[in-house]
Order: sequence, then structure tokens, then C-alpha cells
Amino acid sequence: MNLKQQFDVIVIGGGHAGTEAATAAARAGANTLLLTHNIETLGQMSCNPSIGGIGKGHLVKEIDALGGVMARAIDQAGIQFRILNSSKGAAVRATRAQADRILYKQAVRTILENQENLTLFQEAVDDLMLENDHVVGVITQTGLKIKAKTVVLTAGTFLDGKIHIGQNNYRGGRAGDPPSIALAQRLRGYNLRVGRLKTGTPPRIDGRTVDFSVLGVQAGDDPVPVFSFMGDRSEHPRQIPCHIAYTNEKTAQIIRDNLGLSAMYSGNIEGIGPRYCPSIEDKIVRFADKLSHQVFIEPEGLNTHELYPNGLSTSLPFEVQVDFIRSMKGFENAHLLRPGYAIEYDFFDPRDLKPSLETKQIHGLFFAGQINGTTGYEEAAAQGLIAGLNAARKAQDKLSWTPRRDEAYIGVLIDDLITRGTLEPYRMFTSRAEYRLLLREDNADLRLTAIGRDLSLVDDHRWQSFCTKRDSVIIETERLKKLWVSPVSELVHSVNAILEKPLLKDQNALDLLRRPEINYAQLMSVDCFAPGVTDEKVAEQVEIQAKYSGYIDRQEQDIEKQRRYEELMIPDDFTYNGISGLSNELQQKLTQIRPTTVAMAMRMPGMTPAATSLLLVHLKKRQKIMNVA
Amino acid sequence: MPHLQTQDTITAIATAAGRGGIGIVRVSGPLTKHIAQKILKTVPTPRQVHTTKFYAADGSIIDDGIALYFVAPHSFTGEDVLELQGHGGAIVLDQVLKRTIEGGARLARPGEFSERAFLNDKIDLTQAEAIADLIDASSEQAARAAMRSLQGEFSKKINHLVEQLIHLRTYVEASIDFPEEEIDFLSDGKVQQQVEQIKTQLTDVLAAAQQGVLLKDGITVVIAGKPNAGKSSLLNCLSERDSAIVTEVAGTTRDVLREHIQIDGLPLHILDTAGLRHSEDLVEQEGIRRAWLEISKADLILLVIDSTDNEINNADYFEKNYSDIFALNKPIIIVFNKIDLSGTCNVPLHASLSLSAKTGAGLPELKQAIKKLVGFQPHNENNFLARRRHLDALERAQNYLQQGSIQLTEQRAGELLAEDLRQAQNCLNEITGEFTSDDLLGRIFSSFCIGK
Ligand SMILES: Cc1cc2nc3c(=O)[nH]c(=O)nc-3n(C[C@H](O)[C@H](O)[C@H](O)COP(=O)(O)OP(=O)(O)OC[C@H]3O[C@@H](n4cnc5c(N)ncnc54)[C@H](O)[C@@H]3O)c2cc1C
Ligand SMILES: Nc1nc2c(ncn2[C@@H]2O[C@H](COP(=O)(O)OP(=O)(O)OP(=O)(O)O)[C@@H](O)[C@H]2O)c(=O)[nH]1
Ligand SMILES: [Mg+2]
Repeated sequence: MNLKQQFDVIVIGGGHAGTEAATAAARAGANTLLLTHNIETLGQMSCNPSIGGIGKGHLVKEIDALGGVMARAIDQAGIQFRILNSSKGAAVRATRAQADRILYKQAVRTILENQENLTLFQEAVDDLMLENDHVVGVITQTGLKIKAKTVVLTAGTFLDGKIHIGQNNYRGGRAGDPPSIALAQRLRGYNLRVGRLKTGTPPRIDGRTVDFSVLGVQAGDDPVPVFSFMGDRSEHPRQIPCHIAYTNEKTAQIIRDNLGLSAMYSGNIEGIGPRYCPSIEDKIVRFADKLSHQVFIEPEGLNTHELYPNGLSTSLPFEVQVDFIRSMKGFENAHLLRPGYAIEYDFFDPRDLKPSLETKQIHGLFFAGQINGTTGYEEAAAQGLIAGLNAARKAQDKLSWTPRRDEAYIGVLIDDLITRGTLEPYRMFTSRAEYRLLLREDNADLRLTAIGRDLSLVDDHRWQSFCTKRDSVIIETERLKKLWVSPVSELVHSVNAILEKPLLKDQNALDLLRRPEINYAQLMSVDCFAPGVTDEKVAEQVEIQAKYSGYIDRQEQDIEKQRRYEELMIPDDFTYNGISGLSNELQQKLTQIRPTTVAMAMRMPGMTPAATSLLLVHLKKRQKIMNVA
Repeated sequence: MPHLQTQDTITAIATAAGRGGIGIVRVSGPLTKHIAQKILKTVPTPRQVHTTKFYAADGSIIDDGIALYFVAPHSFTGEDVLELQGHGGAIVLDQVLKRTIEGGARLARPGEFSERAFLNDKIDLTQAEAIADLIDASSEQAARAAMRSLQGEFSKKINHLVEQLIHLRTYVEASIDFPEEEIDFLSDGKVQQQVEQIKTQLTDVLAAAQQGVLLKDGITVVIAGKPNAGKSSLLNCLSERDSAIVTEVAGTTRDVLREHIQIDGLPLHILDTAGLRHSEDLVEQEGIRRAWLEISKADLILLVIDSTDNEINNADYFEKNYSDIFALNKPIIIVFNKIDLSGTCNVPLHASLSLSAKTGAGLPELKQAIKKLVGFQPHNENNFLARRRHLDALERAQNYLQQGSIQLTEQRAGELLAEDLRQAQNCLNEITGEFTSDDLLGRIFSSFCIGK
């Protein structure tokens, strides 16, 4: 490798954001360098050994539809797969997998090592090279200067990271890894808004000291779900179950008695933690009347006894952790392998970012992942992909691309961050998406793969499989539309046999599929509709589209209305100051955030319809003046 | 800027219904033709005066009038435009407006017709500021008017409704986003029951509103003051009827008297009340208690003062006598009565005027002042319209609840119910203010112990 050459893109950090960023940039054709502390920790799961879940699974499928890493890696590393919400409608079903940490890291590393255009290098970055307000490269810990047209920073929880266990604390990026202090200090010197957030992780337990016979068992789904569009069941390693344990009143008592010793409760931590992912201390205090809390006991891998007790994140002193773990049924003799801890770190106000994830202050510098105020591997990976792509496109003098809110959860995530900012670590939930019925796991490919292909993110192999599926869905839907049954025809008896209410007027097969009691397989059991398609994915898609059609139409109408505002660009140098009728507060906010489109401005907190009207009138006025001039 | 064609169709009352005069409902946007067909049963020839009837949904006739149809881009806004000029007063006009909404239009925001005209190059640059002012000034006024009409029972009911909707959504959304958590989710039956409850309440509020408590009766104006100030005389004078007993005995009025009047099409509910003073008489005491009750609910207070009373020149007169009324912080007009006896009244007070309930002198000025205070001005957003906006939002919310409830019973589709509940909430937000998905998550996290 020649580090003297100029790269198109440098990615700092080999976590979930960094690995997606580096591979996306490389796929998009940019000559890319990934710099990270330690090659051994590429794709490391800092906290819980799982990928997906509600909202998060949606993100993973979208990353996959754009040719990303995460879904392919988890298909090779997942040791328990489930579809959550399987009893509910398709829009809110989500895939989740338990991961073998080691296998996951290996899978990620293999993908990275085999990625064309991508160079890996183990070295911490201490500083950025700037010319005016353009980034032109990075300086490493050993003083190496490496040049690039654009840089993506994905330093995770490492920036000025501080680890707390009880009353003790020390500097660290996560347990066992060094923090990034020099870089954090340099970044604080730039004109970026910085804040502190915190998150926590539970202690780990040696499975040989746990009595599994008294715990509940939770098996994976059968048939085993698959994450990637290109994935296959046969890639999965051996599948094993998780277990379920419960805290009790004794656990609560121990925690209450020692609250004063918890880092979170003794005031040692200034960072803000996530509301939905509270420490066990928080849960006991805030929901005092709840006598018992559920704890998922998750295996960390196939070849280790280490267990992850999901739900017991804590910053109590280690001795107290031992006590409260041992108070749980089945854990009386438990041995703790590693203590739980809380970590505080720097994050940058995401409102200082453009939709491309480039910082507004420093040209060519992109941010992704935890440093933008999010939490979670999937959230990090999603941003990484977009930042890496856009860093490549900028280096290639191409326009950036970010999905809209109606195209992807990735769009919701980025738009929420840059227009509203965040006060706590931001996690995806389906309730954040107003177009939830459109943004499903099952159609992530249909929503994004064609766009990904145009952006050079999708390879030939995926593209061909995708086209085959897409076309089959269209052909089958058209076929069903043309199969009419009349209540007076001969055929009607066999059709009525599968219906709850008999046919009253002429209907086609697609109409029948909309009925709640009918699924695709049942429909195909009637001779006059058979034979259907054999590809399950195609059949599923035809069925879901039929079932949701009314709501899909409604949401698409909403989108259409919104579209013109999405397309109305606000010039970079547009001045908000002095627009009479816009409150000073709004003028300031708009000036600071600089929304790129009218639609984005409309989503900012405090914007009213009248304010939007004023904005439109002033934009038009400006345009008229420019036309005259 | 692209041509703004694919947008909503908007509707509004373009002029106030003058007394016996003409009121205009104006519609602009892509659905205009469709709406004309619905209300007129025909689409008029463009740019020609068309004498016609306006039809209700059931085919009955709402009003006779004139229709004018303009085809894009040859219209004021640059879009398809329909103007419906009727003869009826405010209530008939409101019915016509409602018909256009049923046809798919939404209520225009203040200044929105002009805004479209400007955006479609129908108005030149010099008027940009004027339009911006219109959008701004009138919307502020609208906000104030809406706030005012939100006082009292109506707002209590709506807030209660919204609270219940949020409560239900907290469960419905939590069951979607957190199925793994130990939450006592509501059974489908329970959810159904709560949806029905909210629907019933919404129907009640709507019925109350439609019966006129809100719209027909319009704004409530309470006449208050000391005994013998001339309150009952003023009521008779404003209503042009001899409905209240007038005598020179202080303490004549005991019961609350209600009259419904219109000032230039603005519907008003005028209440005469017992004179305020300390009294030993049990009946009078009760009358005064009732007077206070009405005063506290009023949209506007007319504080009547006898201008022949010498004490009014004392510096502390107002403070001593009316501080409790001023403390309510409501819109007040101070009316110095009996100027036929006192000549003029020269107490320099903001928002005060002088008149004679006996001769009628000064009455037109009072009417103007009332109109101005409640924000009823032609072309601008007003209280009346603000309430129509509320009704419209309630009706849309009800539609969504109806659909959502069907989704749950027929399709067992919780995520579709959730979508309809979200939309219903968006409608109610137009009345009560923003409630974001993040606010909802906040509710979920404070209601349930969630988190791994
Ligand atoms: C203690 C703890 C608890 C957590 N709990 C949860 C949880 O409960 N739920 C949840 O969803 N998420 C949790 N997370 C968060 C989750 O781990 C992160 O969201 C995710 O890993 C973020 O991905 P990332 O790529 O942004 O950063 P990381 O995965 O942190 O990766 C950062 C990478 O950058 C490298 N790096 C940093 N600085 C430099 C530098 N100067 N030079 C070179 N390389 C550098 C690091 O070595 C590392 O490889 C937790 C994290 C920690 C540490
Ligand atoms: N000259 C003159 N007399 C008036 C005027 N307004 C009211 N009066 C007289 O004042 C007396 C009291 O009038 P009311 O209208 O009964 O007064 P009120 O405020 O309703 O009194 P209570 O009901 O007792 O509180 C009557 O004799 C009226 O005729 C006015 O403008 N000019
Ligand atoms: Mg009286």
C-alpha cells in the first residue's frame, strides 16, 4: 500500500458505521482507505450480541437493499433468528437475530478484505488536515499524513470516552479499547456543537455457573428467517435458544440499598442516557411498583459460555453487580466474567449536518454513527452507508443522495436528526415513520435496489435476482387482475368454498386476495386461479400489496402532495433575517439549520402553515427579482 | 419554482355576509370542477354569470344565487376557480362552505388565495410584501380568535378527547414497537371499546357544535355592571326587542336573559345579567352568583357604567369597583351609558365608548367595536371561521376513527388502526397544537417500563 498517494475517501473507525461507509464508498467507485484502532475489532459488537428488531430490522433490510454489509454478515453469524410481530401485519413485522460475536466479526472482516477499491490500515487518527474550511486528509497517531478528497468520521463512543463502574471511572472507548482523546480535543476546537451522551451495558456471566433448568426457554422461529435478499438458510450456523429470567424483590432491594453508589445516581455522569434503554437502577426507581423485571439471557456465541443478560445494564460497583445477579433464580452461584459499565462520550449536534451527512462547517468532512447522537448498530450502519456513498460522490463531483422519509427508514432517521436534533441517544422505532405502511421489511428491495443500482452500490448478481423478483410480482399481479369470477358462473361454487361471505358481484382474483380471510396459498387452491408462482417471496409480495392497497394509495396521495415541497429547493444563500411575520426564533432556527428544501423546513419544530406560506412567498419574490435582474 | 398545480383545493368565505347582502364562497384548485358539479349539478360555462340553485347532498336546495367559473390559468389564483354568491346569511353561507369541503376542498388558510395568485405569477412583485403581511397579520388574529373560542366547555371536552386518544395510542403503538416487553397490552376487545368511546364523545362534541352552541350562536357577549347602569336597556336596544324588564328600581334583573342577534352577519349571543353589588336579598344573591358564572364564561364583556354617577371621576373608581372583572383578563368594552343626561363622558379610558341606551346614540360605534374585538373582518380570518375550522377538523378525525374501527373489527389489523388513530390525532392537533411521534414515545416510556 502506498500511503503517500491521495485517496478519494478516508473512513476513520471500523465499527458498524465505518465498515458500511468504507464499503459503500468503495462500491461507488472511490479509492477508499479505512483507518481504525485495531483490525481485530472490525465489526465489533460493543454491547448486545444481536442485530435487528422492530425498526432496526427495517434498517438492516434497507442497508441490504443498497448492497450493504450488515445483513450478509448476520446471515453468516446468526445463532437464533426470529420474526417479531409475526401475528401482526406485514408493515410492522421485523427480523431479529442473535449473533455469535466472533462469527460476526469474521464475516465483516472477510467482506472488507475482499472489497475492491478498499484499503485497510490499523492506526489511530489524531488530527484532520484542513485547508481553509476544507478537509484534505488526516494525521495519525504516529504522525503519518494521509491525503484524501473527503473524510468520514465514525468514532463511535470513543471521543473523549469515559467509563464508569460505581464510583470509579477511567478513560476508554469501550471496555478494553483506548479512547480517542487527541482527536476529540481537536474537534472541539472547530466550530461544531458538541454534547455528551451516555449509554450502558450489563455484566457478562459464565454460563457454566447458571442453572438453566429453572429458566424459561425461547427458541428461534421455524422455518428460520433469513436477513439478506441474497442470503440463504444454508449459510446460518447451528441454531440455539435464548433463555428468560426474572429479577425479584430481593434484586430490587439490593439495588435500592446501593443506589448511592451507582455512577448514574451519584451525579458523576453529565451525559444523557436513552429513555427506552434504562439501567436496571432506573427501572427499579422509576417503576417501583413493578416487582419483577424480565431479563433475556442471550448466548454470546456457539463456542463460548459467556452470557449477555439483556435488561440489566448498570453502573453499580462490581460487588453490588455480583450480589444482584446472584439474587435471581438460577443465578445463585453465578460467576461474572466482566462487569457492567456506563460510558460517556462526545457527540456532535446532528443539526450541523447536511442531508448528505457532510458537516456544514467543514467541507468534505462527513459524520456517521454514534457520534451523531444515535445508538445502535443498525442506526450507525445506516448512516455509515449514506455518509460513505456521499463522501465518494463528492470526491467524484457528483450530487449527493439521501432517501426521503417516504422512501426509507434511513430517510426518517437522517431527517429526524438533522431537522430536530436529539436530546438523548436516538433509536429507531416504527412509530417515528409516518409512512410506516409503505416502509416495510418485505419491500425494502423494491423501494431501494433500483436506486442503489443507479448509484453503483448494487452489483450485477443482486441486480439480476432483484429484477427477476420485481418482474414476477408485476406479472403475477396482472395475471390475478385478469381472472374474473361472476356470481352466476359455474366456477363460483369452488370460489365460495374458500370465502367467508359468498361472492355477490363480479370480482377478480386480486379483489378476493384483499379479503382478510384469504391468503395467496388458499387462492391458488382453487383450480381456476392456479397455478400460482412458486417463489414464496413473490407470492408474499403480491399478497401484501393487495391487502394494504387502500392504505398504500392513501399514503401515496399524501406523498404526492408533499412531493412538490420536497422538490422546492431553498438556495444556500437565502436570508431569513428580516422576513416580517416570521418570529425571531424561527428566523434564527432556519438560519442555523439551513433546510435544503421547503419540505424540510416544514418539518422543523415550530414551523406553522403560515410560516411556510411566508417562506414560499419570499422564495418566489427572490426568484422574480433574479429573473428581472 | 415549478408550477404549483398538483396541490390541494382550497375554499373559504370570501366576503362577510353583510346584513341582507351577498356572501361569497370561493374555491380554487384541481377539484373545483368536481365541486361545481356536486353543488350546482352542472359545470357553468367559464367566465359567464350563471344564475343557479345550490344543492345539499340530499338534493334539497340550500340557497339561490350566482355561480362564476374560471378555468386555469385565466383566474385570480391561476387555478380553476369557482365563486358561489348566495343571499342567505352566515348560516346558509356556512352550509355552502361545508358542501365545498365535502367535495374535497379544505379550508383555506388566511391569505392563501393571494398566496397562490402570487406564486402563479398572477400578482406582481410589488405586492409581495402586502401578501406576506396578510398571511402574517391574519393568521395571528386567527390564532387569537381560535384561542378565545377554545375557552370554556368546548376546550375542556376536546382536551379530554385528545387525552383519551393519546392514551389509546400509547397502548396501540407500544404493542407494535415493543411486543417483547412485559406490558399488559389491551385486548382487541378493549381497544375496540375505547375507540367506540372516543367516537361517541367526538360525536357529542360535534353534535353540540352543530346544534349551534358554537357556530350559530357565535360569540358570547355578557352585559355586566352595577344595578341601574342600564344593562337591560342596552340588551333591548341591541336586540331591537323589548325583552328585558327595565325599571328605575336598582336590582330589577335577577335571572340571566339571553338574546341572539347578528351584527353584519356576525352571530352573537347577548346575555343580560343582574347588577353586581353586595346584597342581603337571597334571590338577588342568587342572581348575582349566576351573573358571575356567565361573566366567567364570556368571550367578551360589556361593562356598563352609569355616566351620571359622580364617583366615576375618582382616580380609584375602577380599581375599587371592578378589579375582579378586570382580573379575569378577558376582552372588555367599557360602555358609559346615559350620555343623553350627562352630555359627554370624558373619562380617558382605552377601549371605552359612550352611548345612550335610551336614544340609541353611540350604538353603531359599539357594534363596530364588538366586531373589531372579536376579529370579524371581511377577508380576514375570524372567530366564526376559526370555529368552522375546528368543526372541520373534528369531522375529519371522526372519519378516521370510523375507518380505524372497521380495520380492527374486520381485518384485525392493528397497524391499520394505528394509522387511522395517528391521522385522527393529526386532525385534532390542528385545534390543540402539535403532538409529535417523539411526544408519543415519551408517553410510552413514562407509562411502561421498557428497555433492555
Ligand atoms: C457500553 C456500551 C453500551 C451500549 N449499549 C447499547 C445498547 O444497549 N443498545 C444499543 O442499541 N446500542 C448500544 N451501544 C451502542 C452501539 O455499540 C453503538 O451504537 C454502535 O456500535 C455504534 O457504531 P459506530 O460505528 O458509530 O461506533 P463503534 O461501533 O463504537 O465504532 C467506532 C470505531 O471507531 C474506531 N475509532 C474511534 N476513534 C478512532 C480514531 N481516532 N482513529 C481510528 N479509529 C478510531 C474504534 O476503534 C471503533 O472501531 C452501546 C455501546 C457501548 C460502548
Ligand atoms: N336617560 C337615560 N336613562 C337610562 C338610559 N339607560 C337606562 N336608563 C334608565 O335607567 C334605569 C335603569 O335601567 P335598567 O336597564 O333597568 O338598568 P339595569 O342595569 O338593567 O339595572 P338592574 O337590572 O337593576 O341591575 C331605568 O329607569 C332606565 O330607563 C339612558 O341611556 N339614558
Ligand atoms: Mg336589569
